[in-house]
This record gives sequence, C-alpha cells and structure tokens, in this order.
Amino acid sequence: MSTSDWQDRYYDIDQVLNTPGPRTDPAFLAGDGVKDFLRNQAKILVIGAGGLGCEILANLALTGFKDIHVIDMDTIDISNLNRQFLFRQKDVGKPKAIVAAEFIMKRVPGVKVTPYFGKIQDKGDDYYLQFNLVICGLDSVEARRWMSATLVNLVDPENPESLKPLIDGGTEGFKGQARVILPTITSCYECSLDMLNKPTAFPICTIANTPRLPEHCIEWASVLEWPRVHGEKKVDTDDPEHIGWLYTTAAARAKEFNIEGVTWSLTQGVVKNIIPAIASTNAIIAASCCNEAFKIATSSAAYLNNYFMLIGTEGVYSYTFEHEKRDDCPVCGGESLELPISSEFTVEQLIELLVEKQDVQIKKPSLSTPTSQIYLQAPPQLEQATRPNLSKKVKELVSEGGEVTVTSTSLPFSLSLRITYTN
Amino acid sequence: MATTDSIDITAAQAQPDSKTRRYDRQLRLWAASGQSALENARLLVISGSATSTSVLKNLVLPGVGHFTILDPANVTHRDAGNNFFLEGDSSIGKSRAEEAVRLLAELNEGVEGKADTSSLEHILDTNPGYFASYTLVIAHNLEPKLLARLSTLLWADDTLPILVVVNSDGFLGEFFIQFHEHTIIESHSETAPSLRIDKAFPALYDYATSLDFASMDPTDHTHVPYVVILVRALADWEAAHDGKAPQTSADKKAFKEAVQAMKIKFDEENFDEAEAQAYRCWTETGVPSDITALFQDPQLSKLGPTSPPFYHLLDALRQFTLLPPHTLPLSSTLPDMKANTSSYIHLQKLYKTRAEEEKATLKGFLTVPIDDAMVDSFVKNAHGLKVLRGKKWGALDAEPASLASAVASSPKAAATHLALSALSSVSSPTPSVEALTAAAQALLPPGIELPDEFSDAVGEIARAPNADLPNTAAFLGGLVAQEVIKMITKQYVPIDGYCVVDLIETWTGMV
Ligand SMILES: [Zn+2]
Repeated sequence: MSTSDWQDRYYDIDQVLNTPGPRTDPAFLAGDGVKDFLRNQAKILVIGAGGLGCEILANLALTGFKDIHVIDMDTIDISNLNRQFLFRQKDVGKPKAIVAAEFIMKRVPGVKVTPYFGKIQDKGDDYYLQFNLVICGLDSVEARRWMSATLVNLVDPENPESLKPLIDGGTEGFKGQARVILPTITSCYECSLDMLNKPTAFPICTIANTPRLPEHCIEWASVLEWPRVHGEKKVDTDDPEHIGWLYTTAAARAKEFNIEGVTWSLTQGVVKNIIPAIASTNAIIAASCCNEAFKIATSSAAYLNNYFMLIGTEGVYSYTFEHEKRDDCPVCGGESLELPISSEFTVEQLIELLVEKQDVQIKKPSLSTPTSQIYLQAPPQLEQATRPNLSKKVKELVSEGGEVTVTSTSLPFSLSLRITYTN
Repeated sequence: MATTDSIDITAAQAQPDSKTRRYDRQLRLWAASGQSALENARLLVISGSATSTSVLKNLVLPGVGHFTILDPANVTHRDAGNNFFLEGDSSIGKSRAEEAVRLLAELNEGVEGKADTSSLEHILDTNPGYFASYTLVIAHNLEPKLLARLSTLLWADDTLPILVVVNSDGFLGEFFIQFHEHTIIESHSETAPSLRIDKAFPALYDYATSLDFASMDPTDHTHVPYVVILVRALADWEAAHDGKAPQTSADKKAFKEAVQAMKIKFDEENFDEAEAQAYRCWTETGVPSDITALFQDPQLSKLGPTSPPFYHLLDALRQFTLLPPHTLPLSSTLPDMKANTSSYIHLQKLYKTRAEEEKATLKGFLTVPIDDAMVDSFVKNAHGLKVLRGKKWGALDAEPASLASAVASSPKAAATHLALSALSSVSSPTPSVEALTAAAQALLPPGIELPDEFSDAVGEIARAPNADLPNTAAFLGGLVAQEVIKMITKQYVPIDGYCVVDLIETWTGMV
C-alpha cells in the first residue's frame, strides 16, 4: 500500500477485486496480487484530453490506475467548457494535456499523470511498447486509424507483451460507441471504416452555380471566395475575424440569391465541421471505455466482446455485438482488396475512387505496382516524374488481376489492391 | 453588395456572446429554447454519493439553473476514494453535501448550488412542502422505506416534481423516472414530414401543370426540381387513368418509365431523382397512426380553458385533420434536391406560403390564446408529437403479472432488475445468493420461475453488495443526466420504464 492510500480508500472497488463473480475468468487471482498490479505496475496511455479524455482520466484515477500518460495536441477553447470538466475559463488557450494532468494529480492523491502536448505520430514503437493498455478518446478518424494500425503492427507473435489492447470511444450528440480491439485477434479500427457516416459533400458546381441552401453559400465563401481574395493564406477556423469574413461573404451571396438561414453559428458549424457534443454522452462512453480497461487489467469480470453502440435520442437504445474482422482489411486482414474497375478508368479516376470509397478513404494516396511506380504524391521530383501517368488508363499500367500497392503519409500501413476490369 | 463598413458591423453583431460560445456544442442539439428550460430548472439530489455527483456534473456543465444536495452525512474514508467531487483524504470528516456542492459549483459560474445537511426523514416528517420548489428530484440508493414515502408523496399531486430513482451495485444498475404525463413537441423525429406530392396543394399543382417541358430552355429542363416533375407526371398519369394513381407494380413500372421518358438528355439527374422518389406518388399522405392515436387522449374529452396548451393545440390539430385533404398541416421545410436556385427558391416559397395558410387554419380552431412560437413549433413538429404516461415508482414490483411478462419478454434485463429489487428488500448488509433469490422469487407470481440469467445477476450482487464503483457511477451519471435533460427540455424522447445496465457484458435494456 502506498502512502497516499488511506484506509478504505478502495472499499468499493476492493469488493470486486476480493471475490470473483459468476462471469469472472477462472484465472482471476482475487486479492492483493491484482491490486498490486493495478495500483503499482499497470501503465496506461490515454489518447486525447478532450471531451472523452477528461472523463477517462478522472475514471482511471479513481479506479486505481496510478501511472497514466496522456497525449493531446490541442489547446483549450471556450466551447470546450460545456463538457471538458477539468478546464476552467482561466485555462483557455493552454494545452489540454498539461492542464488535465495537473488537475487530476491535484484532485486524486498519489496518481501520476504524465502529459505530452503533441501528436501521437511524434512517438515511436518503443514509446507505445511501455504501456499495458491504450484508451483512445478522439474525434479524428485519421488519428484513430493511425493508432489502431500502429498497435496492430506492434504485435510480435514471439512476444505476448507486445499485444496492447486498444479501447476506443467516440461520441456525436446523444449517440456514441465504445469498443475493445485486441490487435491481430479481433477486428481493428480499419476493419470497421465502412460503418462511419459519410461526410456531407456539396458538389462544386452546386456551390459555384446553383446554390439552394445556406450551406451552399457558406461553402462558396470558404472554398471559392476565400482563396480568390486571400490567395495562399489559409482559413483559420478559430479566428473570429476569419469566420466573420466568411459569414458576411456567405450572407451577401445568400441575399443575392434569396436564400435564408446563413447565421454565424451555421457558418462556424459548416467550416469547422462541428459535431454536437455534451457531457452526458461523453460520460457514458468514457465510463464504458474505462470499465473495459479496468476489467482487462484486473480480469475481475468478463469484458466487452467487442462493440457497444448507444443511441440516446429516443429512450436509451443500445446494441452490443461482435464486430468481425475483415479478411481484406489492409491492417489486419492480409488479403488484398478486390477492386473491379472499368478498363476506361484513368489513374486519376482510380485515385478519386480510393479517396471516396467508404472502406478505403485514403487521402492523397500514392500508387505503385511490384515493378513500377504509378503515381507518387511526394517527394516533388517523383510527383513530377509520375504525374504524366495520371491521365493514362490504368489498364495500360496494370494487367488484369495485377497488384497495386497504395500508401499514404497519413497512414502507417499500405493497402494492397487486386485490379480486375469489368469490360 | 453592401459596403465594407456595413459588412463589418454585421459581422460584429452576428458574433455570438461568450455564453453562446461556451454552450455552442449543446445549443446545436436543443437550441435556445432547451437551454432556457434547463436554466430555469431546479434539481434536488438526495445524497452526495459518487453516482449522485456524477449525475450532477453532467447537469451543472450544460447549465442547469439550481441544484441542492440533501445529505446529512460527513465524508468517510471510502467516499474520499471513489468520488471525484471530494478532495481526496483532505475532505474526510467534512460535510459531504458541502464539499460536493463546492467542487461541483466550480464547473459553471452560471449555476447556483446549495448544500442541505438535513435528513430526508426529518423533512418527510416535518416539512412535506419542501419539495414543491423543485422541478425534479434525483435519489440514489435511497433506503427503501424512505424511497417509498418520498415517491408516494411526490406522486400524490401532478404539480410536484418528477422523481428519478437510481439504484446501483457493483457492475449493475438501473433507473426509473416517475412522472404522470410528459408531452413532447420537439421529439427530433428522424422521419421527414410528407411533401404531399400525392395530394399537391393548388398552387403547387397549378405551377407543375403549367410548365411547358417541351419548349423549356434545356438548362432549365435539367433543373426542374423532382417534386415538380412528380406532381406533373402524376397529373398526366391520372388524366389518362380515370384519376387514379399508379396501383399495380406494372403501373408503377410504367410510371417510372414515363418519368424517364421526360428526359431530353440522358444525364438529367433531376429526372433520376424523380424516378427514385416516385413511390411518393402512390404512398398516400394521411395522418400517421400514432398521431391519430393521440386524438383519443382523455385530456381532449375534458378540454377546458385551464387545460395545458399542448392539448389545445392537439385538439386544433384533430379538427384540422377532419378537413380535406385529411393530412397534417404542411411543413415548410423542403429537402435539398437537384435544381437551380430560382426554381428551388420558387418551390420553397410555394411551400412556405401554403404552410402559413394551413397554420392559420389550425389557429382558427384554437379557443385559447397560445403564443406564436409554440404554435409554429407544434405545426413544424406535428409528425413527431408524443404523449407519455408514466407510472409510480415501485408499481412494477407490486404487480407480479407485469413482472412475469417482463421476464418472458426481456429475461436479461428483468433478471438484473429483480436482483437489484431483491437487494433493496433484504435487510442484511451481506446477503447470500439464497436470500436474494428467495426475495426475487417472492416478487413473481406463484409458478413463474426466475429466468436463467438471474444467477449471473444475483451472483454479482452477492459478490459486492455495497459497491458504488466509479465507472458504474460515471456510466449511470451520463445516462441519468441525459434523460433528465430530455425531461426538462421536453425535447427528444425519454425512457418509459426501468433502464437496466450490465457493465460486465456491457449492455443496457428496458423493463
Ligand atoms: Zn483490421
């Protein structure tokens, strides 16, 4: 018992650590051993110190994890304060990871939280190998794909310690999900990419020529007018002056076309792709993630197999199911993805398809065959050298049944395609 | 275009104030009306347990008006270990209510928090009027006898606060909302209201039938909205078929072909959209059956000047639907569709004008004054109206037959509910599986067996009969707060019954 553990500190938790229940694995060793592992040995990593992250950190600290690390690259914004309860008005502008870590250490004695204010991609395999478990509470699809793929790649069959369970949570308004990923054993984040909602995309011709909705006017202002007027300067969606410019520009266009409904809030919502977020949904999903972490770390009870989905708009509806691994998952499946295309397809069209296809969604893909480079996004010299291929037909470069390897700098894995021609 | 100066002024005026910025992510869910309801709500929370403070955290953050924690206890060693709204061992020995209120109030300066260290029993004995000033009362793991008295007191009069009963132990938990009646206008239904293509209103019909598709400019032709195409195609079809819409599958196929035949170029996407939406021509727009069912509500037969505005509006709606074309009032919201700006905006105007006219007709049936914002909202959301009638807490356990049917229809959730009910009915602090099983069995009618799943649930209770686990507390804290928000804002649809939670296999269910 460490000095900060006053008597009966864990009175509640110890009840489930002292005795097994009907659904506890027979291998569970009730008593001091499991408590010692949880409180003195387990090292856990939390990705994200935002809506889910704040909740996750508090729950982990209370359940007895004492060595917690947290990574977050964001700073605190006023709109975080309606749910990110470790932050106060005076913290606006400061790094989330650092403020959250300090708060937890002050509130829960004896817990060490080590913050890292930066990107998950800054860290390498050695860093991730030091943890027993990883919990991800992020809103970025890209970062979650990276984390999931990194942990799958980390698995060394010779070394059971290299398998790091990943618990992933996500919320949107009154809805959310939590899942347990055992890298290489269960389905991974990449396996379920097709379950994501398709983002609303407005065709550029609608935006340019036939606006009908206030959203079309806002897209016009941000996608077409901003670069025309401001050149190379990028929109900073956190800068009220930039949002103000987009708002007035969109409002003027809406007026011209008799379209109603352009507001500041809608402008911000469209350009920042704002997802509604509340404390209660985050609390449910974060609790579920931490509960799985606790059960996995202690074996005190069976854990989620492997996906929990919650819809809270009409009553409380939830669905718990086993999400299955995809054989053609580029991260854990091994089989190449069969891709039938028209023999008229150009390389450029193939790239567009890869960007949009629900189960692929690779931004800026580079393509090659086992013997040649088809198109590379970087470095500039190679991009230039392969650019002429964009207008060529795929069929000229890849034979029927041929393999194409797709890579992207944003993802730590490559996708293997088997191209067939439909005509 | 406005001048640069006036643009700057508009931007400055439109920029939200700091309160709106703080609440931005939730205002997108329940808007200013929901926020104002939340800010006017007063909550009473009985006990400062880990679960209670978890619920409160999720209500203080979004800005509930006031909360009181009623708790005579001082912080124990165990409280200091499992409750985030106590300051570890430095809170030990201090008032649990005062410590929790102090740390919860820090979360939001706009919220008023109060600690009351009186005992509930004393209040029930001496001051039953205490509760009337609250909107809603939340009780966690309250002693069964006090809970029974409290629920009876609050049930006696429908002006008294709603009661939310939360029970939890170890990895299991449940909660129940005691209310008499809950009416919802903004249910945020995901079904879209009918565009009434099959029953086109005169201005829409006239517009669609007056268009000369043959001589139209080809660019305009590509931009006729599908609604207009379908109204026209249906009018043409009906003229050739004794005034009848397509009925057989052969008819429907022929109708779709006729729509495709209207194209002048193969790539006119508006006609493809029309074909895809053609079912709207033969799906008759009527009054949805769950709305018709509301017209039978007992409140309508005794409607008087003091009846709630919702029922006056419902009765006006009922009378409206008696008029041809026997539909709900038209919605003015038009989904996006392939069209150019002018034809879309023109169509939108036709819908808006008609929607205003129909709203005026509905208003004509009102016999009491009701503010315009409420009428607008009622008409706009008419397809998703809800009336829920609740039950007194404990009613289910007092009706063996209802429990038996719950066991048959949802055995897992019913098993967990029975195990938790058994825990509160036995007096031992460390009850045996046998004692709990006997207590649960006693709730069921003779001859009805406990479901197989009961052993999993009861084993957990016996293992940890007295554990307020932080993760379970946080999970229930989220769920309960979410339902409380729905009750207070009267938006979205709250639970009807017990919501049961099992955090071993991680599922939720309803009994
Ligand atoms: Zn996978």
